[in-house]
Formats: sequence, C-alpha cells, structure tokens
Amino acid sequence: MKDVYILGIESSCDETSCAIVKNGKEEIATIISSQIDIHKNYGGVVPEIASRQHVKNITIVIEECLEKANMEIKDIDAIAVTYGPGLIGSLLIGLEAAKTLSFIYNKPLIPVHHIAGHIYANNLVKEMKFPLLALVISGGHTELVYMKEHLNFEVLGGTLDDAVGECYDKVARVVGIPYPGGPHIDRMAEIGNANYKLPIPLNDDSYNFSFSGLKSAVINLAHNLEQRKEELNKEDLAASFQEVVTTVLAKKVEKAIDEKNIKYFITAGGVAANLAIREKLSKLCDEKNVEYSFPAIRYCTDNAAMIAAAGYYYYLNNSFSNLIINAKSSDVLK
Amino acid sequence: MRILYIDTTSNYLYTGIVEEDNLVCEIKKKFDHDLSTMALSMIAEMFNKNDIKPIDINKIILVNGPGSFTGCRIGITIAKVYAWTLNIPISVISSLEAMATTNLEYGFYVPVIDARRDYVYAGIYDNEGNSIMKDQYMKKSVLEMAANGMTSDYTYITNDNLELDGEINSYNPDILKIVERYKDREDINPHLIDANYLKLTEAEENLNDRNC
Repeated sequence: MKDVYILGIESSCDETSCAIVKNGKEEIATIISSQIDIHKNYGGVVPEIASRQHVKNITIVIEECLEKANMEIKDIDAIAVTYGPGLIGSLLIGLEAAKTLSFIYNKPLIPVHHIAGHIYANNLVKEMKFPLLALVISGGHTELVYMKEHLNFEVLGGTLDDAVGECYDKVARVVGIPYPGGPHIDRMAEIGNANYKLPIPLNDDSYNFSFSGLKSAVINLAHNLEQRKEELNKEDLAASFQEVVTTVLAKKVEKAIDEKNIKYFITAGGVAANLAIREKLSKLCDEKNVEYSFPAIRYCTDNAAMIAAAGYYYYLNNSFSNLIINAKSSDVLK
Repeated sequence: MRILYIDTTSNYLYTGIVEEDNLVCEIKKKFDHDLSTMALSMIAEMFNKNDIKPIDINKIILVNGPGSFTGCRIGITIAKVYAWTLNIPISVISSLEAMATTNLEYGFYVPVIDARRDYVYAGIYDNEGNSIMKDQYMKKSVLEMAANGMTSDYTYITNDNLELDGEINSYNPDILKIVERYKDREDINPHLIDANYLKLTEAEENLNDRNC
C-alpha cells in the first residue's frame, strides 16, 4: 500500500502547531510555537491574545514544518485540522489555514476532534490495540473513553466541574507557584509526604470525576493554617493532593478495566506527562495484566502530530469535509 | 494581472477579482453568524464559476482591519496562507481606507466603525484617499469634534447603527475603484501580515495600567 502523509494543524488553545505524519504512526516533522511565556503574564490563557498570536504564527509554523520534513504541500495526501473543542478564536485560525490549503491544492480536508487527537498521540509511540480504554487528562479535559475499534469513541465519564490539570494549576497557585504551576506540583510531591488529609472527590460507583471540591479543600487547608499562623509544608501539601488525584483516577480506570474487559490502556493529554500518575496507572495495569502505553512527553501537550495521526484513520475511512465547516468551542467526542 | 480582493473585517464578505481594470466577479454578502463558516467556500465558488484557478491570481489586496477582531482574522488567515504558499505578492489596506474610497466627489469622508461603549474606529480622508486624520480608536464625541473642525463638507460613512452629528452614507464598496487605487501599494512579506486592530486587548490594557 502507498504511504500516506497527513499534514496536521492544531491551534485550539495557546499552541500553534503543524506536523507531518506518515501512515498515522511515524512522525516526519512537528513544529510547535508555544505562547506560554506571553500568557503567564496574565495568570492564564487570554483567549483574544491567543487568537492574535495564532494569526502571527500560522504561516511561519507551517513553513518550518515543511522545511524540516523537506516536503511540499503537493507531496501531502490530506490536511487534518482540529475543529474543536477549544477556544473558538484560536480554533478558527488553524481551521481557516487548513481550509485555504485544501482549496488551493485540492487536498482532502479532515476535521479532527481535539480529544481524538490526544488519544492518537499514543499511536506515534506504539500502535493502538482494541478494545482500548483512554484516560484523557489535561488542563481542559478529564475523560474516560472506551474504544471498540479505530475512531469508535464511547465517553464513559468525565469531569463534572474542573479538569484535573486546571485543579493542578490552582493548587500550584495556593503554594505560590505562578501559572502554569501544575507540572511543579508533580516535582514537589516527589519530595513531600502525604501528611495532610484531603477528601477523595466523587468517590462513587460512576465513571465521572469532580475536582472543584478537592481544590476548595486545598484552599481551605492553606487558609486555616495561615489563620492559625502555622507553616504550610508545600511539598507535603503537593504530595497529599497528588495522592488523592492518583487514587481517584486509578479507581475509575480500574472499574472500567474490569467492567469493559479492557486489554489495552492509554493515557493522553498534558497531565499524562505527570510521573506519579504514570507510575500509579502502570502499576495498576501490571496488576490487571493489561497492556498499556503512555505518549512521549513531547506528545502530551497540544501538538499537531497527534491530529495528523488521528487524521490518517479518517483518511482511510474517506471521512472528509467540504469547506463549509465551522470551529466548535464545545463538542462531544463521538 | 489578476488581483484578488478580500475584506472580512465586518459582518460582510466583500471579495472580488479584478483583471486588467475590469471587475471580473465580486461577492458582497452580509452574514449574521456564519462568515467564518462560509467565507472560503464562497471565495472558492467564485473561482469555480469564473473558471479561475488559485494559481491564476497575481496579487492579493487584503483589508486587515480595524473591525470585528474575529472577522479580521478570517480574511487575514486566508490571504496570508494563500499568498505565502503560492508566493503571490500581497499588500494590505485598512478597512477605513476602503470605506473612504467612494464615488463622492466633494469634501471629506469620515469612515466610522462602531467599537462599542461610545468608542469608534475612524479616520478622515479627502476625496483622493489621502489621510487627513490617521485611523484611530477614539471616543465618538471626539471624532465628531474633529469632523466639525474640517474646513469643508464632510460625510460619515458607516454600516453600523451609529448616531452621528452629520450626513451619513452607508458603505457599499466599489471593489474595482478600491483595487485601482491601491494596486501599487507596497507588498508585504506574508509572514509579517497581521491585523490592524488599533486597540490592545482588555487584558493587555489592564496589565499596562497596573504597570504604570
């Protein structure tokens, strides 16, 4: 069979990215332009600023990707692009760029759901096997997704309020680490002890998650210690918080593994880079005799390689869009 | 020489192709919500109907704002990706310059775009398109004072629902005239093309205020 090269474009939040992936598995080139240094001045991503940056970056990022791959757009079989969910103004830039390239070169246009992209980041590491369970954990998402086969997504459950990554960032702020502080919590937890008692949120029999109560409990704990003029051990708080998060994630994953007879487990999203979560879930999978893979750290955060990887399977299905397509800020994975 | 004109800075799609001083085709369509969904599809349809291929375009004239932030970015993204990937010369004009290119033959033109909360984007131009007051984000009342101070008659040009203290003409672009007037404007590297917002984001303004 002829090799298939998909050019992916991703601009759903604050990263402008372009990648070329061969046969859904082999990364040829990826360029990511991150705006994190700009947004940290504001304590979080400012949507209008993100959109403005995407417009500035878009052609530069695509050009650099093609140069790195030593390819031209005429060598590409299709253009895959994130259409949602995400920040609407940001999504529109990538989508409009992809539509324009599709029009000019008469190449198929493949709209890809952002979460599908995160899941397919794993395919760049190890070919996915089915039935599969994916735990998608990032700053905007916390979802458990069951897949019977390629592109067949059944969302088992998700967060009822804050995403897990959002909660990490908020806890980081409580211990004095500016945005984006989530990744630091992982490192601090490593040297702390889980001495603080925090509630396990939504410790029930569903596949759903809830992190706003945990966030409030951390804030209250810090506040109460301050009132009593007692010193907060930041590392211990990070360890206590992380212990609760990993426990609740593992509990719901274990339930899905048992009930859905899962043979293959993956994690995806920015928080999938968290080492404690990886350790807890890999241990669980070993105990359950379930094969697993974690995306390479560079594929955990938003990138276009994952969009191109997912796009390959849509390409095989001839799932193409015409140019009359809009970005969607929210959209259920299906 | 075939020139593609693109303006999506308001809730209208204004686009057309000019060839050797003739307007080959044009689209002037108002959208309530779907401009981002439909713009490129309608441009593609315009090409198909006239049997013109993307590669047949020799130059792009892009209107890069001010106006709707999202609207500006739609046209800019289409135009800069187009110009970059096919290595086609591209130049930009402001939406206020385009609005001031009318068929009126006397006095001054004051193109105005509603920027909300009693603010507008506006400029003042003479009938040859020379800027008398540079494009800016300003209080509507200050614009009215500036217009009142002009030595000759002036006409506001706007499609927005604004109350202004003078004669108001609606804006219906003469794409051929705009392209003819600005076709020799200096080309820009497509990578460097950005929107002419005329205004920082609220977050940037607040940060600047805090730092002052």
